[in-house]
Amino acid sequence: MRTVAIIPAFNEAKTLPAVLSALGQQVPEHDVIVIDDGSTDDTALVAREAGADCLSLPFNLGIGGALRLGFRHAVEQGYEIGYQFDADGQHDPSQVPVLLAALDEAHMAVGSRFANPTDYRAGWSRSLAMGLLRWLVRRLTGQRFTDTSSGFRAFRRPVLELFATNYPVEYMDSVEALILAIRGGFRVVEVPVSMGDRRGGAPSNRNLRLVYHFLRVLIVLLAGSHRRPASSL
Amino acid sequence: MSGGAHVLVGLLALGALFFVVRLVRLQVLKAKYSILWLTVGAALAVAAAAPGVLDWFAEKLGIGYEPTLFLLLAIGFLLLLSMHFSYELSRTERRLRTLAEELALLRRDRDSRGD
Repeated sequence: MRTVAIIPAFNEAKTLPAVLSALGQQVPEHDVIVIDDGSTDDTALVAREAGADCLSLPFNLGIGGALRLGFRHAVEQGYEIGYQFDADGQHDPSQVPVLLAALDEAHMAVGSRFANPTDYRAGWSRSLAMGLLRWLVRRLTGQRFTDTSSGFRAFRRPVLELFATNYPVEYMDSVEALILAIRGGFRVVEVPVSMGDRRGGAPSNRNLRLVYHFLRVLIVLLAGSHRRPASSL
Repeated sequence: MSGGAHVLVGLLALGALFFVVRLVRLQVLKAKYSILWLTVGAALAVAAAAPGVLDWFAEKLGIGYEPTLFLLLAIGFLLLLSMHFSYELSRTERRLRTLAEELALLRRDRDSRGD
């Protein structure tokens, strides 16, 4: 099946070449689309030199906006499967087949970094936020996820179509998207994967910002703007 | 309101009307907003020129202290207006995002044709 890796990148020229070459070695049959999210460095150039397709946004839309464009690209180019992959080296290419295998019996697969708890350490505020989000997602979907904010995810075409127009474009997009898919009637499974540390870039969270976005997500979810008609596999 | 305050409000209303008309003539302000502000300006001018009107309304509504009505109307109006702006801003942001996506796709198509 035609498969595309969707890689949002904001000023990731340093880490991108290694990520692209590692991915190319692991899954040479997959296409790659890099979404240059208004970078001010050579991200787009580096991506093209590595042989990847690249879409350059005129200004920074944030991770959600970049992903939505990636989904739109995947749909327009007729891909049957698409998966998100980080440009900062956090995701392990060897785990891609593990993630995609889960799509045999689901519309969407979420890679969880908590398969081996010692692999990943988070500060207390982040742990707290993650715990709250886990609880919230469980309340709203009736399904248990250990890693609601994981950006390592794979989708079959029906989900790509939904996300091409409806992907949440603000920070914490991953949590909203998870609920959007489940409420849309799609089958979502979680897959344990191992993840590395970020090689570049800065983690995008400050405590106050986290609180603000947590409240925002809470309102969005409770307002129920995510209800969509069901779909079959 | 005292006589001095009426003169002040009247002058402000006239100034606002003049300013709005000027903005419309320069085509800086969209017509729909000009109508809005002209209406507000006219209402202020009436209130300043004939203070009895506001007092009469307040009395009809059972408001003992007349300026309360003026403040109530002003706050209600500003609240509605800012809600309207929030709505417009959300819509504009959504459109801007879509345009940015279109632009990225078009740029790629252009570059792949090799111009």
